[in-house]
Amino acid sequence: MTDAALPLAKAPARPSRERLVAVALAAPAVLILIFLFALPLAKLLAASLTGAEGLTFVEYGKLLGTSFYLGVIWNSVRLALYTTGIALLIGYPAAFALARARGPVRSFLLACLFLPLAASVIVKAFAWTILLRSDGLVNTLLMAVGITAEPIRMIFTETALIVGSVNIFLPFMILPVYTVVAQLDPRLSDAAATLGASPVEAFVRVVVPLTIPGVVAGVALVFSLAVSAYVVPTLLIGERYPTLSTTIAKAYLLARQPAFGAAAGVVLLVIAVATVAVSARLAKLGGAK
Amino acid sequence: MPDPILSRRTILKLSAGALVGSVAMPAIVRAAPKEIVIGGPAGAAKYFNADVFPLIQKMLDVSILYEGTNSLTNLQKMQADKASPKMSVVIMDDPVMLPAAAEGLITPMSVSGVPNLGKLVPDTIHRDGLWANYQKPWAGIAYSTKRMPTPPADWTALWDPKYAQKVIVPSLQNTEGFWTLLAAAHLETGKPYKEAQYDIDAAFRKLKSLKPNLLNVYTNAPQAINLLEQGEAWMIGGQFSAYTLIRKADGSPVDLSVPKDGGFAMPSGIAKVKGAPAGDVADAVINAFLSPEVQSVLATKAFVAPTNATVAAPAGFPGAASLFAPDWAFVAKERAGWVDRWIKEMS
Repeated sequence: MTDAALPLAKAPARPSRERLVAVALAAPAVLILIFLFALPLAKLLAASLTGAEGLTFVEYGKLLGTSFYLGVIWNSVRLALYTTGIALLIGYPAAFALARARGPVRSFLLACLFLPLAASVIVKAFAWTILLRSDGLVNTLLMAVGITAEPIRMIFTETALIVGSVNIFLPFMILPVYTVVAQLDPRLSDAAATLGASPVEAFVRVVVPLTIPGVVAGVALVFSLAVSAYVVPTLLIGERYPTLSTTIAKAYLLARQPAFGAAAGVVLLVIAVATVAVSARLAKLGGAK
Repeated sequence: MPDPILSRRTILKLSAGALVGSVAMPAIVRAAPKEIVIGGPAGAAKYFNADVFPLIQKMLDVSILYEGTNSLTNLQKMQADKASPKMSVVIMDDPVMLPAAAEGLITPMSVSGVPNLGKLVPDTIHRDGLWANYQKPWAGIAYSTKRMPTPPADWTALWDPKYAQKVIVPSLQNTEGFWTLLAAAHLETGKPYKEAQYDIDAAFRKLKSLKPNLLNVYTNAPQAINLLEQGEAWMIGGQFSAYTLIRKADGSPVDLSVPKDGGFAMPSGIAKVKGAPAGDVADAVINAFLSPEVQSVLATKAFVAPTNATVAAPAGFPGAASLFAPDWAFVAKERAGWVDRWIKEMS
């Protein structure tokens, strides 16, 4: 069938009134985005490039040219990578469990997913410091089952940071994957089986590719949230693990270096935007299969 | 009346009392806006909200909104809101008052507006009334009495290998972070505080060797003190009496030791924000902070030395001779650079 055969192609051109309505409907959101996002971002970019004598890249040089700040960027990215990877490992099967569950079990699982979102990040971060301390629940359990004889130092370590971060951001991985899995037609696996595919083959070659858009959305969400997290690293590991977010706060609040803070903000934004852009591209490729 | 619930008659009586009280107040306060924003340290929020503000609100018939954070953050807010300040009164440590004064963010007070300024002990009014000290907390080593039946004797205790991963120190972002830096300079150089305070390279050299003992470097004081109460941390270097002894009074197993090399004195200042709303109420609130009523509450509830000469210092307060007051002008000038260095060398 050619495009010319499509009835829509011959549809009369809509009057400009419809276009006007569309513009009017989009206008409030566009204006909000321009004033609350685009303009502040332009201001941020300008601040990062403005020195005492006009245009300068000196702040970017400081940020990207010194091993300490490259380490800070790597801390942020590493936290986001670990959080995203572990959240995917836990969240992917959890999304299937949620989609396959029925009745009260499903309600219970949904409650488990949504209720933690109602608690503040600060509360959850504090709760982890209680759970992970030397006489906390985790150490007590480890010693009770004989895995360790002495309490293990867990608080204010990178492990504690990643555990807390995964806990806090996990729902943002499960939800998009769940949305895709819930829409999968269960007969597809049956169809694959009738064509001779083993359950594993059917899962890997049929189900997994169909869930890619959900996975990509979850990865983009969790990575963006984790790479820019401020409260989580501040409360779970403190000043000894500087990240881009904590560096931005210090630049503005303490060191009084707004240009440097702005440059760090731009770098953080570039990392987050790049993640979303790559994810969108991957989602497109995954959807095209 | 055994029933603790307020009866209608009690409410009527209280309302009548409040009415009489407000009529008795100076007209200037009565006519001014009822709400006032005070910026101050987060660590003081507990005793301010529980003991100090209710008293001032009763004295002046005003409603106080408290913005508790660290002093440098409040300074940043004052700079950002310079054209249209939101805070009317600011409570900050002296080293942060210095840049606030230099940048014209606070405005002088006088005895005519704040009569209690005339009753303060010497050396507590600075820069011709730009700010006044309303209390003098002291700092030493906070320790868990559950973990350490014997108090730490001196600053070397923080470095003792037997306390590996048991020590918390404040970040240099917090004013009290300077005490550990000063103690480190003193230990590294072997000089008394007065001379050692200028040798910051020595301080950082010594501080780096503290890393194996560190459980954490805090910016959030309540979180650190909770860990001390729970026995997860054994010591916090450079803690204020106002933070630690309040918890001790509540029954927590914590105490504050004055190291034999000496503790530190930390005068806290109160000032009126330049161009702030409710200027007359701000004067009245500052006057109330300096009044014998509030000063007595601060001395007994927050374990700080009062600055009003008519109020006695709390029992057990270390003698002035054992408390060192550093060169705050030097600290204020160098602090931003130290914070940057601290972050790089201590992370």
